[in-house]
Amino acid sequence: MKESLKQIVGDEYITDDSAICYSYSRDQHWNFVPAKSPACVVMPGTREEVREILLFANKNRIPVIPWSTGINVRGLTIPVHDNSILLDLSRLNRIIEINEEMMTATVEPAVTFGMLMAATDKFKLRPAFPDAPLTVSVLANNYLRGIYQTSSADGHDHTLSFEMILPNGEIIKTGSRAFSDDMPYFRYGVGPDIAGMMAASPGTWGVVTELTLKLYPVYDLQQAYFVGFDTVEDSMEFIRNINRDELVESCRLLDHHSYITGLFGTFDYDYEKLPEFVACILVAGIDGIFQAKDTLVRDHIGKSVGVLLDIPEKLRTHFREETLAGSEKSCMVFGVRGNYHCIGIYGPLTHVPAYWELHKKAAADAGIPADHVYFYVNPIGRFHGQLCYVELDIFYDGADPDLGKKIQEYNRIQFPRLLDAGIYGWFRPYAGIIEPTLDRIGYQAELWKKFMEFADPNHIMNPGKLF
Amino acid sequence: MRSEELKRAIYRCGKCKLCSITTFHPARDYLPLCPSGTYYKYQAFYAPGRLEVLRGILDEEVGNTGELLKIAYGCTLCGACHEKCKEISSIDLNHAEIFEDMRNRLVGRGILPEAHREITERVRETGNAYGVTTKKTYPSRRSGDTLYFIGCTSRYREPEIMDSMIAVLEAIGEEFSILDDETCCGSVLFRTGQRDAARELVERNIRAIEESGAKRLVFTCPGCMMTFKKNYPDLGVELLHSTEFIAQHLNDLKVRHLGMNVTYHDPCHLGRHLGIYDAPREILNRIANLHEMKRTREQAWCCGSGGGVKSAFGDFALWTAGERVKEAKLTADVLTSACPFCKRNLAEASDGMEVYDIVELVKLALEVQS
Repeated sequence: MKESLKQIVGDEYITDDSAICYSYSRDQHWNFVPAKSPACVVMPGTREEVREILLFANKNRIPVIPWSTGINVRGLTIPVHDNSILLDLSRLNRIIEINEEMMTATVEPAVTFGMLMAATDKFKLRPAFPDAPLTVSVLANNYLRGIYQTSSADGHDHTLSFEMILPNGEIIKTGSRAFSDDMPYFRYGVGPDIAGMMAASPGTWGVVTELTLKLYPVYDLQQAYFVGFDTVEDSMEFIRNINRDELVESCRLLDHHSYITGLFGTFDYDYEKLPEFVACILVAGIDGIFQAKDTLVRDHIGKSVGVLLDIPEKLRTHFREETLAGSEKSCMVFGVRGNYHCIGIYGPLTHVPAYWELHKKAAADAGIPADHVYFYVNPIGRFHGQLCYVELDIFYDGADPDLGKKIQEYNRIQFPRLLDAGIYGWFRPYAGIIEPTLDRIGYQAELWKKFMEFADPNHIMNPGKLF
Repeated sequence: MRSEELKRAIYRCGKCKLCSITTFHPARDYLPLCPSGTYYKYQAFYAPGRLEVLRGILDEEVGNTGELLKIAYGCTLCGACHEKCKEISSIDLNHAEIFEDMRNRLVGRGILPEAHREITERVRETGNAYGVTTKKTYPSRRSGDTLYFIGCTSRYREPEIMDSMIAVLEAIGEEFSILDDETCCGSVLFRTGQRDAARELVERNIRAIEESGAKRLVFTCPGCMMTFKKNYPDLGVELLHSTEFIAQHLNDLKVRHLGMNVTYHDPCHLGRHLGIYDAPREILNRIANLHEMKRTREQAWCCGSGGGVKSAFGDFALWTAGERVKEAKLTADVLTSACPFCKRNLAEASDGMEVYDIVELVKLALEVQS
């Protein structure tokens, strides 16, 4: 295998050294996905090399695990089977185009949010950011339908089109890109929405080598508000009103211990003095619209049962940066107890109080201390269906195997409970969610498998991650 | 370091890889920070991957593979990853120390680069890391409370640093001594995991310093100074870097502005490991026009020579220095540092850019005065 791959990428970019392979054997999700090394790591430098690698693997029925920048918290790039090729795409790191007029960017897999923001900033444009470090892949996060996002106003669908290489070497171009590489700016070209169908699959169809995404304006006029609430329920009306009226650029409801540390960018703050739940709000816009929105938001704050909090300017600035210029300090969640676990779901705001109660109960049932249990909610505009990204978090000591087992138990009991309570969808295909889910989605499960069978009949694309 | 401590550190890594870039906000520059990962590219060469390999070593799942030497020793131990990580994870163990411990474990299994074995042999035979057998002698200096500990690189490879420091000490009017038979401090052996081999050097230096009666040691080499601070017992003497000492006496020195546009490269041992950032800048601001590079202070890009990299992985060392020189050229006309090892490697990659140790510029400022 090594010799064949060397013919494709050259000696420097293929290794079967077991120590190097070992470094790809585990991610942050180690309590849920067993460590496993690939047989080799190959680093293609061009789309053509990716294609040749896939053709080789397909011919020889060798599993391929696509890996973009390696910042993964779900175990999605950890091999399941022996003799896997880890396809390290980190050399494919070109920003192919930033189109200021179209407000789009086209990127390769290893372009990170930091790289892209550094490049778009001069145009006063930005991508939609996940609440993940700036080192994560723009392409992978958008392709995984993963922008959950730091700005509620951005909405949910940022992917316009992409290019994917299938195991048989065929190249699919979605949306308007199918007509012309020069016009990749529209999601829906002709026929079905292939991009939509293939999204949210962790490297199980093929390898996405280019993706065009939306960029959003950066406004100079910004104002942050922090509104404290004693209970989740107390905050619901306020959250609903400001999102329904589309008044805010960002809106997050958090408990006063968890992600707020990253939003404020410091451990050195007396978080205990905050109310138990804090809505972090950012108003932004062009002159005129900004002032109007700001007035209305102030009015909503005044009418709410929440308390407007006096937060130091340095922390407010940090919140603005994290929200609209790229999340850098969200990983401070690792500094609370050493590691974090979360279940991310999409669901309506109306269900948020129930999700919170379920979270606390499942954690208690699994023996997890109450002070390890956190959550946050990001409403997503436009607000049809009261769409929210909800994250049920547990901050824990990753070196404590006993706690690791308890969280495994938490997952086991929580997945079906959430399904029973009603969710719109899972954020990612985590380890353990597919099995309880398939029974509940009827023929869609069969259809999904058949489509995958059609695209990847030899089952080489990240096998074992979904089915 | 006990295995349990190391594993605890390994399990604190969330694999966010923010350790590989400089702080993004507010400048919004996306700049690499990890020379090893940037150069070798594979995950094993970034801190999160290297920690995983260490896990494999501790669990005896990783043996002596062809690349293990490069993974373990192809890192300058610059500690930039730790500077980033501690902001995020509030981790209390230092990555540079963890990776040094990783090497020590490998040395225990006989796994180390040949170049590092050779250094140990040279030190054993000659008392210095370069194996120089011709002893350099100096005018006898045996008086005063201050002892200038020169270090192998200034003494045998970058003597203009030593000469400049002596001239500056004299200009200050400091009574100082120099060890005629100075022995390597052991830094290179400690950094390459050869702790046992370093012990004898430590003992020899302790004896020499106690016999000198010095109350203060001044170093032009931050590597020597860090080794004295970290690896030696408390000798009851004050340890000062040349820049600290000169900064303390800056008002006593008659120096003039050189009119140069300079930038300053923070040596890893001096900055990240000893926390000395301001003294060099105070001096440079007095004698030159100081312009900061984008990657500076805690987030300075390493010069590429430390941690045994220069001797074992020369191409990597030179590439790393070249990256720094490129950045320096975008910033100023002259590149300065405060470490003989940095100067040596940066000068080698300088591509025509002038590279000086700060003490050389101070001496130059004195000379202009006279």
